[in-house]
Amino acid sequence: MTGWLVAAVLLMAGGLGPALWLAARGDAVGRLAGLQLAGPVTVLTLLLLVQAYGPSSAVILPLTLTVLAFAGTLLFIRLLGTTE
Amino acid sequence: MTVVAQVLVFAGVAVVVVSALAMLRARTLLTRLHLLAPVTTLGAPLVGIGLAVANGWSLGSGAILLTVVLLAVTGPVLQSAAGRVEAQRRGAIDEDLPS
Repeated sequence: MTGWLVAAVLLMAGGLGPALWLAARGDAVGRLAGLQLAGPVTVLTLLLLVQAYGPSSAVILPLTLTVLAFAGTLLFIRLLGTTE
Repeated sequence: MTVVAQVLVFAGVAVVVVSALAMLRARTLLTRLHLLAPVTTLGAPLVGIGLAVANGWSLGSGAILLTVVLLAVTGPVLQSAAGRVEAQRRGAIDEDLPS
């Protein structure tokens, strides 16, 4: 197991785990913290997995996810702001 | 993987993991958002710079650096927007103010 994979596994266990826990508990606005943590952690995990396994062109996946996660989370915040 | 890249990547991973675990202990959304800030503004750039150092100058390194710059720019925007919704819910700010 290379260092990249060790770092990716650490991120998945120590980052995605808490993000899922936070996103699954509390009220709708409170879960936003888990959603906002899951986005960057997933992007960083994908970067490390691409470094370990994939061709360098696959780095377009985390780059695309960054933009999509930003738009999606912003939409959640906007809708919750009008309904709360 | 050079030593410098390894140190940078694992420092970034440590920042992300410590922040995530601290968010579990926090009780309010505003405190959690406060603890979320280092993930995008410190942890992600450290990991990205470490990967760029390992790859050297290439198009892939440029895409990695663009990714972490986007994370560092969009993270505070999302956190401030979520903080505003929470403040409105608590009645701390006027709901009629333009968003």
